[in-house]
Amino acid sequence: MNLQKEFTEIYNAYASKVFRLCLGYASGNEELAKEWQQETFIKVWQHRKSFKGKSSIGTWIYRIAVNICMADLRKAKLHTPISDKLVDATTTEPEFIKKEEQLEQMYRCINQLTQNNKTIILMQLEEIPQSVIAETVGLTHGTLRTRLNRIRQSLLKCITNGK
Amino acid sequence: MENDKLTQLWNQNKTNSAIKAPEAIIKKANKQRYGQFIAITVMSLTVLILLIYSIYNINNRWNNFTFGLVLMISSLTFRVVLEFVSLYKKENKLISLDNISFKKYLKRHYKLRLTVNYLITPICYIIYIIGFTKLLPYFKKEFSEGFYIYILISGIVSLLVLAIIIVRDILIESNFLKQLKIE
Repeated sequence: MNLQKEFTEIYNAYASKVFRLCLGYASGNEELAKEWQQETFIKVWQHRKSFKGKSSIGTWIYRIAVNICMADLRKAKLHTPISDKLVDATTTEPEFIKKEEQLEQMYRCINQLTQNNKTIILMQLEEIPQSVIAETVGLTHGTLRTRLNRIRQSLLKCITNGK
Repeated sequence: MENDKLTQLWNQNKTNSAIKAPEAIIKKANKQRYGQFIAITVMSLTVLILLIYSIYNINNRWNNFTFGLVLMISSLTFRVVLEFVSLYKKENKLISLDNISFKKYLKRHYKLRLTVNYLITPICYIIYIIGFTKLLPYFKKEFSEGFYIYILISGIVSLLVLAIIIVRDILIESNFLKQLKIE
């Protein structure tokens, strides 16, 4: 029972971030992101005994999530479509359209990045601490900082220029 | 656009509104584990029965029928066990490696899969077909003509479907490996 309670706490703490991370990998395809999110937590539950605490639980979960997104073979044959319902529906109509266009563009630009750079920027956008990102990806903190700046600049340029 | 605008823009993204209950995830995970357990048990029992059958028949009544049967079951079992081992190894790496190391592992994994796909799978497939053809004369002798034709056609169709599935998987995996190499 304790294990279930522990898992529920972990799930409530990380499920949303994992979903949005996967959403970035899936170019806004919600169904695919949900599937990856679910698979992540299935693995977390099944392998809970193999977690030795060498890294934080967050790092472990993000590693699993990112590895699942990266290893999905369907990506090789599918060009994931940009979802038509990206923005939270609480915004007004003109604002909604503008935000949606910007987000679509953002997804397109993220999709052009390499796998590792995609992981780095998606985790950063989710405001996950840099130390956790470095451990998840497998880089030193210094290398990550330099690379992060470069990715942000190129992403900004891509979103602004529209290509 | 300033740097923090990137985060602001990202935060307009939908949050997971229809999030599944953790209990449902646990239930699904346990069901999956149970399914794996059943599959491994069935596979182990098949190997065991095959071994007993072969040992028993090797001296008593070894003929083309038993030989064909052993060829079919052993080639299939070998290929399935290989698949299980490959999946088990991949899953272990998935939960333990960081992103960069896992990507390197995936490249090695799919290179090895190419060998399996282009060498081991065709060999298993051919052995399976040889086994099947060894059984046909016995089927022809024992069953009615209609049933024999049914076995023959369904066997050929199954082999063709299997071949299509194998080719499709090979293409998907090769494509994925190419994608991994590009980045």
